[in-house]
Amino acid sequence: MNPLILTIILMTVFLGTMIVMASSHWLMIWIGFEMNLLAIIPILMKKYNPRAMEASTKYFLTQATASMLLMMAIIINLMHSGQWTITKVFNPTASIIMTLALAMKLGLTPFHFWVPEVTQGISLTSGLILLTWQKLAPMSILYQISPSINLNILLTMAVLSILVGGWGGLNQTQLRKIMAYSSIAHMGWMTAILVYNPTLTMLNMLIYIMMTLTMFMLFIHSSSTTTLSLSHTWNKAPLITTLILITLLSMGGLPPLSGFMPKWMIIQELTKNSSIILPTLMAIMALLNLYFYTRLTYSTSLTMFPSTNNMKMKWQFETKQITLLPPLIIASSLLLPLTPMLSILD
Amino acid sequence: MALVHKLLNGTCILRKCPKPSVALYPFLGTRFADYCSSSLQKPAAVPGKASSQRKTEGDLQGHHQRDVALDITCPEEKPEVSFDKAIKDELKNHFWRLKDDIVNRWIGPEGRPLHEVLLEQARVVWKFRGKEDLDKWIVTSDKTIGGRSEAFLKMGKNNQSALLYGTLSSDTPQDGESSRSGYCAMISRIPRGPFERKRSYDWSQFNTLYLRVRGDGRPWMVNIREDTDIIQRKNQIYSYFMFTRGGPYWQDVKKKLYLYVFVRVYLKYKFLKVKLIPFSKFFFSNQGRIRDAQYQLLLDKISSIGFTLADKVDGPFFLEIDFIGVFTDPAHTEEFAYENSPELNPRLFK
Repeated sequence: MNPLILTIILMTVFLGTMIVMASSHWLMIWIGFEMNLLAIIPILMKKYNPRAMEASTKYFLTQATASMLLMMAIIINLMHSGQWTITKVFNPTASIIMTLALAMKLGLTPFHFWVPEVTQGISLTSGLILLTWQKLAPMSILYQISPSINLNILLTMAVLSILVGGWGGLNQTQLRKIMAYSSIAHMGWMTAILVYNPTLTMLNMLIYIMMTLTMFMLFIHSSSTTTLSLSHTWNKAPLITTLILITLLSMGGLPPLSGFMPKWMIIQELTKNSSIILPTLMAIMALLNLYFYTRLTYSTSLTMFPSTNNMKMKWQFETKQITLLPPLIIASSLLLPLTPMLSILD
Repeated sequence: MALVHKLLNGTCILRKCPKPSVALYPFLGTRFADYCSSSLQKPAAVPGKASSQRKTEGDLQGHHQRDVALDITCPEEKPEVSFDKAIKDELKNHFWRLKDDIVNRWIGPEGRPLHEVLLEQARVVWKFRGKEDLDKWIVTSDKTIGGRSEAFLKMGKNNQSALLYGTLSSDTPQDGESSRSGYCAMISRIPRGPFERKRSYDWSQFNTLYLRVRGDGRPWMVNIREDTDIIQRKNQIYSYFMFTRGGPYWQDVKKKLYLYVFVRVYLKYKFLKVKLIPFSKFFFSNQGRIRDAQYQLLLDKISSIGFTLADKVDGPFFLEIDFIGVFTDPAHTEEFAYENSPELNPRLFK
């Protein structure tokens, strides 16, 4: 793509999310969502082939439907409260419709069907933007309306998302689909704690973004989109396999890596609110996620996977430069001792 | 009397065994009953034989039996009439497949452990060893638009291959809108999961299509469709050519495979040829027109494969297929054989 056009489109995506996060007028928030959606479509279709077109179409249809639902909820809220400012949404209908709309934008169950299909159809860089940046705007709105969200609906969606994220990723060999199901599961964890302590949602979001960024950067470095091609990285860049191991285990929530921090905090907060069965179930279902991460590490890092001779030297046009990989690795694996500094998120 | 016969027939259908042979003894004589329970070789002869048998009886009971006996054909031939049972069987079948699906998910991708799937270098996807293998294919020709080509599919000798044969005719249908005609095709059915859910094949670790065919010298076209949810993509096909060589010449089997060793000694002159078509060579076409903008065939969601004959040569044709598989050719490193150029498709280069 022409660099100038690409810059303008990326700025529009950035601006759309910023408008959503910084506005106090509901209409501006909706405008921000629409700007974001329209600008991300060319990013998704950057590597143009029929599959990318199908993925972009699916993304557009689901997000446009969610925006329509959001608009309806905004108007119902306007009708009942008489003002456009974001405050606690007092009307339960508006609150429920808004929750469902934002769940559709995030990819929570039962609106998760688009996430693996869209992520699989687009390039790795576009998938990176889709799974990290695009989650910020809906999550910020959920944060702002968190006092008025119906707890039952949100917790049901959260638990189902963790289950579907774990179950769906179980026998995938395509890396982008694995990251998509991982995203669904992490969104579940984030929304489960939203009503009790929204700060932890933000913490989980930050750590999740760092880990997903790291994973995608490592995939882009080895240009691999399937488990088989990732399992040949020991031939080309053995250090990458170690980093993949650390990052995947961090995503699975193993102590003493960073990924353990949000899970620990969330379970602690839920138990403080006299909820025992729910965090137990969530922790057990997180094991499904851990299972397919460790299976990926088994074929990638823990074994020297057999390959034929000419696969050892996979040629590339130029050495890929990965932006900010070292700080990302540090952030996604070594941040656990900084847990007492959580208070800065308040 | 008629009721008793119908009841007997009903039980016969449900149990699918030659019960009437025993039950019908008192009414119709042993010969007819035995005939009814015997094999299906001459089904058409049964009613005639029955009527000739019955004419000898000659009483009112026999007359009744004549009306009823016409309904009685060989048990295996009679179609299922129990609607409830059919629905229950279908539901049971689907739930069983759903259970298998869930259990297989624990084991790994496609129901096999992950290391087995990752280490796999060759896979037979379709093979023709029995009638049930033929049901996975649809045979079509230009008869659907009013043409006169014919195509049929049957099992070959010793149930070791499938034979697609027929006649190609490029006479255009006189409907005022078709200017070209003359094609025959054999297309695989889309794989279905429980509750007829659409599934797709994941061939992303393979890079070559392996066909063991015997043709008659005609050029065939191999078409691959990708799995899609949007209707605008239903006519997008990736194709390549398969040139068969018939004729009374000895031909060498080109390549020996790693897992499958093909040593077939033929005393006759024609024998099966191995066709290896790398997936990188497939070109993209939409609605039958090859597009200027070419895209790589992505192998992670393949829906169906088909063979088409449309070489404008009227006459009979045949294609014998042993099996169709996919494998990884380590010597083949090409990813995509066609380039997009700014002249042909400027949109991609803006």
